Amino acid sequence: MLKGMTRLVSRVHKNCVIFILEQCRGSCTYGCLPWKRETSWLDPGRFSHLGTQAPQCPVAHLDNQVPTERTRAISRTLENDPAKHGEQHVGQHYNISIQELKTVFPHGLPPRFVMQVKTFNEACLMVRKPALELLHYLKNTNFAHPAVRYVLYGEKGTGKTLSLCHIIHFCAKQDWLILHIPDAHLWVKNCRDLLQSTYNKQRFDQPLEASIWLKNFKTANERFLSQIKVQDKYVWNKRESTEKGSPLAEVVEQGIMRVRNATDAVGIVLKELKRQSSLGVFRLLVAVDGVNALWGRTTLKREDKSPITPEELALIYNLRKMVKNDWQGGAIVLTVSQTGSLFKPRKAYLPQELLGKEGFDTLDPFIPILVSNYNPKEFEGCIQYYLENNWLQHEKAHTEEGKKELLFLSNRNPGLLERLCAYL
Amino acid sequence: MRGDGWGEGSPNRAFIMFRLLQGKVLFFTSLSLDYFHLKHSACAKQSLLLEYTVKILKLCGLTQVRWSRYGPEYQDPQIDKEYYRKPLAQLTEEETYERELRKTQVIKAAPATKTSSVFEDPVISKFTNMMMKGGNKILARSLMTQTLEAVKRKQFEKYHAASAEEQATVERNPYTIFHQALKNCEPVIGLVPILKGGHFYQVPVPLAERRRRFLAMKWMITECREKKPRRMLMPEKLSQELLEAFCNRGPVIKRKHDMHKMAEANRALAHYRWW
Repeated sequence: MLKGMTRLVSRVHKNCVIFILEQCRGSCTYGCLPWKRETSWLDPGRFSHLGTQAPQCPVAHLDNQVPTERTRAISRTLENDPAKHGEQHVGQHYNISIQELKTVFPHGLPPRFVMQVKTFNEACLMVRKPALELLHYLKNTNFAHPAVRYVLYGEKGTGKTLSLCHIIHFCAKQDWLILHIPDAHLWVKNCRDLLQSTYNKQRFDQPLEASIWLKNFKTANERFLSQIKVQDKYVWNKRESTEKGSPLAEVVEQGIMRVRNATDAVGIVLKELKRQSSLGVFRLLVAVDGVNALWGRTTLKREDKSPITPEELALIYNLRKMVKNDWQGGAIVLTVSQTGSLFKPRKAYLPQELLGKEGFDTLDPFIPILVSNYNPKEFEGCIQYYLENNWLQHEKAHTEEGKKELLFLSNRNPGLLERLCAYL
Repeated sequence: MRGDGWGEGSPNRAFIMFRLLQGKVLFFTSLSLDYFHLKHSACAKQSLLLEYTVKILKLCGLTQVRWSRYGPEYQDPQIDKEYYRKPLAQLTEEETYERELRKTQVIKAAPATKTSSVFEDPVISKFTNMMMKGGNKILARSLMTQTLEAVKRKQFEKYHAASAEEQATVERNPYTIFHQALKNCEPVIGLVPILKGGHFYQVPVPLAERRRRFLAMKWMITECREKKPRRMLMPEKLSQELLEAFCNRGPVIKRKHDMHKMAEANRALAHYRWW
């Protein structure tokens, strides 16, 4: 019936047996049927199976060397002291040793950066313009004047937290006392155990968060805790008290040991540091990431399901006193971020939008510093850094096409670029 | 566009899948309908051919399951960027002819999942689609990327922990690991139930290339979904399984070997196969 058709050819192609009765394209041609090969779209042979290693790029040995003979960007600098970073280091990564990382940053690094440090076995931070600007201001602070507030703001993933970490590293190297709250948003949400504060019945204690913070504070500032003496007597309960003149380390120990008193210990530490930094014994850096949490809303509720405002939390109440500029002898560096914030729209990134009226008025004379996406030089530097660490394993990622595509997909946003390169 | 009663998609070159009502033997058949000596116009011919095809199939107890809406005149879209970047001066005669011809032809719409990205990989896309549940491609794709990242990080850890000689053997490219792992999981021979004398016998049968790829991916996904501890996430489990399959160990490879052993055990029944 089907004339000339049905050439039942069992084509045993290697191990497959398929009946393919195929017609040729176009109209009736009865000649030899062009046997179409099995579709090769899934043929993995398209991609080479040899893991190509990225070309090892020579590390720049001289910072002043102008790469005239090389068209590749320099991604690293040997200048590991943040105090000496300048315009010429923009776009380059400097190394922080792992021991320093453990002491200076027991908390506060973004989680993806921590993963990167673990994977590469090294901690490299990029030198960028906003951080350099802030460093310049900090180097020229007048410690007799009240503490100046700097606010780092920018869109999501642009590098506010890591710029803050750069500043903290600089201050730690300059022997300042670092008061670093890694993420204020964590203190206003997801708190399982809220206790009524013993000091003030209206407020609430957060023992867990406070004790964790105290532990990390102790690790970061060991050497200061024995030097600073408490100027008041503090009674914890019927049996325990801290005498006037005892080192601050005792208060911190008390907070870590007795978790119920941890929040009060934090309050005492903040009060003492604020009082004593004006005396000029040490320089204080107050670094808060996500400071817009202090004036927003919380998701915490009382037993009768009524919402708690941030000022009813003892930690937040005391922290608000720290970011007021009524003390001397240091600086306050803050970050506003939408990630982790509560009841704020996703696209909001300006300080006015995120802080709200109350927060903006409290912080009012502050210096805003915009952190934006990478410029082309920084982008090249970042890609170069990943190539040097063999992080970009995909063959096409080494080519110009691949780089153009990464540029397009990430729009030079540091966070997005990091996530893209993670799986390539 | 030829608007005939059937719409523009009469399957002239139709890959028709049909099932025998009694068993589950699947045949792929493409009926060549151009061999009909019909002096009708093309569209009427198509519709008539389709009617005949359907009637023949129904006679044999076979029902059409999957067909394409595109007619035979529709060409596949050319997605490769390099094809279009070639300067016109460098084209050979055949290529220039082909380009001119394409200007007159109708082209199918490119599917949304096929991009001209340099990082696109059809195996990865297929695997992502198979992992997808309820059309949630965003979730499936994010799981896939997290898996690749997990594989990469594990291999980097291994690389840094290894000595200088071993470092050359550690493979860090997640894509090569993925491809090699799936290749290692592909069975060579499969079993097919064949009805003979009122009983179904599991007959060893050589498998098609695409069936092997499908089985490897299917086994991998099933293994990762069912046999993981309760709180373990899919990327972690999948990266673990991929790395084991890459080294030719692990439960998916075991399943492949079990399949081979059963086929070997049933080799006496190989005569039941008639194709």
